[in-house]
Amino acid sequence: MRRLEVAGLSKTFGSTRALRDVRIEIAPGELHGLVGQNGCGKSTLVKILTGVYTPDPGGSITVDGRPLGLPVRPAHQREAGVSVVHQNLGLVDDRTVWENVRLGRYRAGRLTRRIDRKVERAEAGRILSELGYELDVDLPTGRLSAQDRAAVAIARAVQDRRPGGGLVIFDESTRALGRSARARFFELVKQLTGEGTAVLMISHQLDEVVESTDRVTVLRDGAVVEGAVETKDVNEAELTRMMLGRHLVTHIRGTSHVRTETAASVRGLAADLVSGFDLEVRQGEIVGLTGLIGSGFVEAAEAVAGSRHATAGTLAVDGRELALADRRASTEAFVAAGVGFVPERRLEEGLAGEMSVTENLTLPRVRSRGGRLRTGSDWQARETAEMIDKLDIRPPDPRKPVGTLSGGNQQKVMLGKWLAGKPRLLVLHEPTQAVDVGARHDIIDVIREAASEGCGIVLASIDPVDLAALCDRVLVFRDGRVAEELSGELEPDTIAHAVFGDETRVQEKKTVENR
Amino acid sequence: MNVTHEEGLGVVGDAPDTSPRRSAANPVAGLFKQLGSRYAVVGVWIAMIVVYSIDEPGQFFTTSAFQTIFGSQYNLVFLTMALLCTIIVGEFVDLSVPSVFGFAATILTVLTVNHGWNVWEATVVAVIGAMLVGAVNGYLIVNLGVNTIVVTLGMSTLLLGVSLWMSDMNTISGLPSSFSKIATTELGGLPISFYYGVLIVGVFAYLLGCTPLGRHMRFVGANREVSRLAGIRVNRIRFGSFVAAGAFSGVGAAVSVATIGSFNPSSSATLLLPVFASVFLGTAIVEPGRFNPIGTLIGIYFLATGILGLELLNLQEWISNVFYGGVLVIAVTISTLLRKRTS
Repeated sequence: MRRLEVAGLSKTFGSTRALRDVRIEIAPGELHGLVGQNGCGKSTLVKILTGVYTPDPGGSITVDGRPLGLPVRPAHQREAGVSVVHQNLGLVDDRTVWENVRLGRYRAGRLTRRIDRKVERAEAGRILSELGYELDVDLPTGRLSAQDRAAVAIARAVQDRRPGGGLVIFDESTRALGRSARARFFELVKQLTGEGTAVLMISHQLDEVVESTDRVTVLRDGAVVEGAVETKDVNEAELTRMMLGRHLVTHIRGTSHVRTETAASVRGLAADLVSGFDLEVRQGEIVGLTGLIGSGFVEAAEAVAGSRHATAGTLAVDGRELALADRRASTEAFVAAGVGFVPERRLEEGLAGEMSVTENLTLPRVRSRGGRLRTGSDWQARETAEMIDKLDIRPPDPRKPVGTLSGGNQQKVMLGKWLAGKPRLLVLHEPTQAVDVGARHDIIDVIREAASEGCGIVLASIDPVDLAALCDRVLVFRDGRVAEELSGELEPDTIAHAVFGDETRVQEKKTVENR
Repeated sequence: MNVTHEEGLGVVGDAPDTSPRRSAANPVAGLFKQLGSRYAVVGVWIAMIVVYSIDEPGQFFTTSAFQTIFGSQYNLVFLTMALLCTIIVGEFVDLSVPSVFGFAATILTVLTVNHGWNVWEATVVAVIGAMLVGAVNGYLIVNLGVNTIVVTLGMSTLLLGVSLWMSDMNTISGLPSSFSKIATTELGGLPISFYYGVLIVGVFAYLLGCTPLGRHMRFVGANREVSRLAGIRVNRIRFGSFVAAGAFSGVGAAVSVATIGSFNPSSSATLLLPVFASVFLGTAIVEPGRFNPIGTLIGIYFLATGILGLELLNLQEWISNVFYGGVLVIAVTISTLLRKRTS
């Protein structure tokens, strides 16, 4: 008997299929991992399981052999023993522990409709102690430590399950937890699975997936590419490869275009966990930044581009010295100096979806190239036509709202937006994420071309294949610092190995450091 | 679902069809569809005029009715443009617009009539006063991050109170007749204030459509983070929009006072709903799904026509509440549906 059986589940939004014929099976007492890149359909799947989305007809969700009506209704979901712990744990910080644990289940007096505090407090205490937790249920959750907060969220999720039954879905729940809190969190999870409760763990942190899960399912572009692989048979590098897919187009490394002149140099950058980061990018050079999620490589790239607030550091481009730490500085100075940034989150940071392709493409230059009283339509039309042609943006309609384009074409518009201005430094964050093979090919070519024209490029990515195909050198981050620099003939495996290492090597390193 | 709703209202046909494949297959149908969605309200407007003309022979389709509709809406034109300033850069929504207008008009009349100031100097002070209020709104909302609705709702009530205090709760009249010329001089049967309105709408539309500043304003409204990362000074534009909104309200107040020759501070509150109804109705015209000045101007005259016709049918004053309120709800619904489709 399966605890959860999802079969033939699909979801279509307009013309895009977010999920295709997804099949997942989870056994009682199993800790099952679900991994995939952003945009692969993980969150769509969770939203179907929690009833936010209605799936396309034809799929089924079965819990303990009993089919769940679609769309899922919260009451049925709870009855079947399925509960979800969301990314931010879903706690209301200024309410007490018992209020949070019992939220949605309060029993009220028959006449007065008053919540019976005594019963609720006792109930919350009982649920927590079943998990082996003793907490003052009257404390506001905002004052608890990270691991206690996680425990409160878990207590809320598991209280309805029959002992040994039920399924708990953790949707990126460990994101907010520190390392030590995470250890305690997994103890709790193991305790649940030990009793027979099944757990579906959705996570970006491949290390914890490999360490803790029994089996893992990999989603890519809305489809299951590897269903229920025994976790002991895979490592993080292999999981990464499955998530990213075997690229049909293997990119042969292009010739290097590194010149002797410096394009940009970063000095003493500090942002979040990153500190003392120096970087010299030469014209035509492509420098890769990589590491595990949370190692600081993303933060470093964003701070260099002026998108993330830094606490210290300078960026010198084109003879100008820009303070990275200046709170009030807009990115105006960065743009003027020729720094472009292609962010990972397209429609949050990269493009305004309701505006047209032309308007998005030309945005950084409407003031410098247009007159004060007139944007001027000729140069805009020319620039847009040039970029549509160069990047093969489809459909080639300059007036189409960018939000209606596919992900790959949006990515191309973002690149074109900066490339049209001939940048001196271009910072790219996962430029080929969730784009199809053809678009990926175009994007890689265009990045190379920009380098050949003398642009310095910083590429922040977890994709070893992209990094190997594009970079002249790769900096591997660990705990906010550059731990290793790779250069010369780069192979995806070498990069993956440097990022993930293997257990023994990492431990050896640690003991060396400790001395 | 959406389609039937919208067609049921008879206001919007379809979203603009920009898909090249379809319009290539049938260019004529594509053009009609586009025109249909852009100018459906204009069609309803014409239909309304025809119905009223048949229903009220000799009353509706007359020069005086025409003059009433086009000559009396100058207040709304200025105030809707003031509201557009901030709503286009994504501030939802400035409730203080009519009160700023009333505040400026009160300053102008009180200084001139009660204190014997030169009317032109008083006008300048009034407009500056309105811009200062805009700056205070802007500072609280943009720099300190206080919620727009709360700030402007409070400011609105505060200013209404201050205006009533300054005027001692009286209607103040007795402005020099030379002043009224700036608004009431007739040109082609309509007061010059009508042309002021058309002019500022035209300038505003040009600014938004054709200048870098306008493009930046649109992007700030569409996505602040994207704008910031493209080097736009987002906060400066947001702050500037509040000050510009104050300026529009202030100038509108001067035109209004010049037209009527007096001002009653308690009258400004009744403008709130027509302003909102017009601006939201404007999102269904010319540029469907977007706040835009020309659509708003058409919306104003659409509403004025509807009200006048209903009044000529001998319906009492309550009808304007029903009409403006109803149109506001319908217009917001349509604009929400249109936005959903484009994004």
